[in-house]
Amino acid sequence: MSFNVLIVDDSNSMRAVIKKVISISGFKMDQCIEAGNGKEALEALAENWVDVIISDINMPEMNGFELLERLKGDDFLRDIPVIVITTESSERRMQDAFNLGAKGFIKKPFSPEEVKKILYEVIGVNDEGEYEEDRGDDKAFDF
Amino acid sequence: MKENMKKIEEMTRHSIFEVFNKMFFLFLEPLDDKDNGYDMEAAIRFEGSMSGEVRIFLSADIVKTMIQNMLGLAEDEITERDIEDSSKEAVNMIAGNFLGKLDSTEVFNLSMPVFKKQPGDLEFTENACRMDFDSDGGKVGVIIAVNGYP
Repeated sequence: MSFNVLIVDDSNSMRAVIKKVISISGFKMDQCIEAGNGKEALEALAENWVDVIISDINMPEMNGFELLERLKGDDFLRDIPVIVITTESSERRMQDAFNLGAKGFIKKPFSPEEVKKILYEVIGVNDEGEYEEDRGDDKAFDF
Repeated sequence: MKENMKKIEEMTRHSIFEVFNKMFFLFLEPLDDKDNGYDMEAAIRFEGSMSGEVRIFLSADIVKTMIQNMLGLAEDEITERDIEDSSKEAVNMIAGNFLGKLDSTEVFNLSMPVFKKQPGDLEFTENACRMDFDSDGGKVGVIIAVNGYP
């Protein structure tokens, strides 16, 4: 089983790194869609279905928190799990992200292992990339 | 003030090592002599219970090495956009990592990082400190200024 991933970051280089790190980690990625901010992410989501969103916080036009709010308020998009990937590492910022619906949090700088672990946890798949039988509601989403 | 700046310098040094090692696969050696031969600069401001600025100065060769190591690109594939993006991302990560070490319970607002093709003035005041490093890939310098540190 492979997954569609949306990477949201205003830095081209960081999007490329995240994409590369996901590939190196062994995570089975089918389609990788990229967006430069929250607004572009919503435009991409209007045309593509993704299994998971990986988003930065500090971005121009629409930041990661605003994106989380918009996703939370959308009946079609609210169940897509979001992983926040950011340099901002305060406990309150992390809690703010979880309160807005984020399912995972990755601090930059990161390693491929960390990214893979959080991706699998959030999507609810085992090391072989298959769905675990007993998924908790907070980690799962319905098709 | 001097003692506090020592603590800030130590925390910043750890953050610089962590970012360059983990993201750019570069091992930095602290330089005792101050080097002013940098080719570009990236800077970011932060605000919260304390405010300040982190500025990094990079030699052209270290930026290329950072990009080659991070993205796996050949030298002739590197664009101006890659150079700007990677420099801004490096200062962003150093600032975020440092602020987490300084006080993980405090929320700091980070500005959008800025990039300058020509480095600015490397002079610094008493509420700031400067560190210079060398590596196999080139040189990097960092100036961190903090206002309001108790």
